[in-house]
Amino acid sequence: MAVDISIGLVAIGSGLAIGMSAIAAAIAEKEIGAAAVGAMAEKEELFGKGLILTVIPETIVIFGLVVAILILNLAK
Amino acid sequence: MLSPHDMSSVIIAGPNNILEGIIKELHNLKILHIVDHSKNDLADIGTPLESASRISEILVKVRSMISSLNIKKNDSSFELKRDILDVGLAVKKLGDELVMRTDELKKIEEHLSRNEAVKQELEILKGIDIPLELFFPFKSLARFTGYLKSKNNHKELKTELEKITAKFMLLESLTSKGNLVVLYIDASKKENANSILQKIGFTPVNFVNLTNLKGNASSNMDIIEEEKANLQKKEEEVKKRIESLRKEHKSFLLAAEEFLNEQLEKAEAPLKFASTKSSFLIKGWIPSDELNKSIDRINKVSKNKVFIQFEPAKKNDKVPVKLKNPKYAKSFEFFLDLYSMPTYMEIDPTFFIFLTFPILFGMMLGDIGYGIVSFLIFWLIKKKLPKSRSLLNILMLASLVSILFGVLFGEFFGLEKIGEMELWHLLSREHDMFSLLYIAIGIGIVHVNIGLIIGFINEMKSHGFMMAIFEKGSWIVLEIGIAMVALSYFQIIAVSARIGYSFLAFSVLMLLKGEGIKGIIELPSILTNILSYARLMAIGLSSVILAVIINDESTQFFHKGGLFILAGVMILIIGHTINIMLGLLGSFLHSLRLHYVEFFSKFFHGGAKKYQAFGAKE
Repeated sequence: MAVDISIGLVAIGSGLAIGMSAIAAAIAEKEIGAAAVGAMAEKEELFGKGLILTVIPETIVIFGLVVAILILNLAK
Repeated sequence: MLSPHDMSSVIIAGPNNILEGIIKELHNLKILHIVDHSKNDLADIGTPLESASRISEILVKVRSMISSLNIKKNDSSFELKRDILDVGLAVKKLGDELVMRTDELKKIEEHLSRNEAVKQELEILKGIDIPLELFFPFKSLARFTGYLKSKNNHKELKTELEKITAKFMLLESLTSKGNLVVLYIDASKKENANSILQKIGFTPVNFVNLTNLKGNASSNMDIIEEEKANLQKKEEEVKKRIESLRKEHKSFLLAAEEFLNEQLEKAEAPLKFASTKSSFLIKGWIPSDELNKSIDRINKVSKNKVFIQFEPAKKNDKVPVKLKNPKYAKSFEFFLDLYSMPTYMEIDPTFFIFLTFPILFGMMLGDIGYGIVSFLIFWLIKKKLPKSRSLLNILMLASLVSILFGVLFGEFFGLEKIGEMELWHLLSREHDMFSLLYIAIGIGIVHVNIGLIIGFINEMKSHGFMMAIFEKGSWIVLEIGIAMVALSYFQIIAVSARIGYSFLAFSVLMLLKGEGIKGIIELPSILTNILSYARLMAIGLSSVILAVIINDESTQFFHKGGLFILAGVMILIIGHTINIMLGLLGSFLHSLRLHYVEFFSKFFHGGAKKYQAFGAKE
């Protein structure tokens, strides 16, 4: 299967864009999640707020995804 | 709709001798939100009514019985004679009987476990026919009981012992655990015997439970077995009795708990009031439209012996908030309960959440099949869990909107055509993701700006028009500036980019005036907030792609035929189940987040107390 090397590079680039931003989001969420669970152990009503705080860094992945799609579009 | 119920602050003062009557009436009215008094130089907090300690004593008993009988809350009703003395007597009688029964049960269980220990020891001695009296310690004889390593050791032991003395008796029996020996030997030779035993490999066994037994082991076993049967029968009887007590008094106990809780709330109410030696003062809030009626009732009960002062809420009061929304949007107050109550002067955003939450959710889930499945699931859960009604109402509405978006996107479980029939669609998420991205960002711009406008109105109410222009208007000017710069850069509009830049500079100055340096630091947030709505496309897209993969995978299996068809069906069921779960969780959390983070940050302050009327159940 012969694929043009430039297409391969574009695919790698877009993969890196989403993959690395996902790692970044995961690192951020790890800290918040741990703190949120700690707070919830003290006060159960904080579940709602904890959940929301935990998903806040998810935006990073979404930016990553948008960039990945924009890069993929270069291949067309 | 957009603002909470009007509230009036109320102060009730009167002599202590009518306090109990007033508390009773307030409890019946279920209308006054009491503001706790904190002790100061003028007045201490009140003391609980006399009955409080007695009520809490009975309540503790009732609760302990409810937990020891493992009674679950249910809807069965019970006609309780609403009188503390009566309830107290009934509770005491029931409690005494229960304590007696559980003591009895405990004794039987202890006896049983003791017997079990004796039985285990007797089991070992079964094969050795000596009276158990011999297990008492003797002065002139030493006793060893234990296992030998093997049968041959027995002979060896015997010969070794014969070497030191002739005064010994050696009994043996083969048990499941090994070769048991019992050795009686002259006490003076105890040490020697011990070392011999050590040498040939002997594990001692102790019999601690075999006291006060007569006769040999096997006859004792029979006695124990008989006793055990009797005890078990008794145990059954006592358990049955406790179970019948449980069945008989279940509803009584639950009703009693509720009644006593209520009474205790009343009896302890004075702890929230200001009080002097002879008078009391209650501060609180009442919804303005119920004010006159309530005051009339209180005056009537107290025979006009109380002084009541009331006035509408003022600007800086800490008013408890009772949200006011039409019935169809009421469920969405759940999201404010979860987050924080808006303050009295703020706009209540419930109605806006009602408008936008289902749309954002539906756009992310957006599939006819998934929408129908989730609607049915939530409908079923709602029947089982009426307590979570408001959350499930929200989810059901959101599922319906998902079906609607499914029709627009032309998707049914990820399929774009069923058999040969192509589904009509306005926009295919799978193939036209860029249009979807632009739509998502567009929705973001609209949503964020609605937030800014609400923020503008809030600001205008609390700090005046000019402040609102600086604080919230500046963001809108900023957006216009960015839009003009971008549009002229792409040469879509024939305006010089300089005008855009001047808008930008102007907005930065306004922001500096309105929010200070904090505003400048926050500048990029307007872009990230709007771009954040790209998740409307991203979450939806990931859900579609996953569904397509599941469908393709199972189709391959279907083509292979035979047993593979079964595997294909399994893939379809498991795959779509997981995808629905992920989709629901993702859509719910992300649309909630878009509201809490992107939308609320434009206007919401919150932090008010929720209106909680004295006497009303939660």
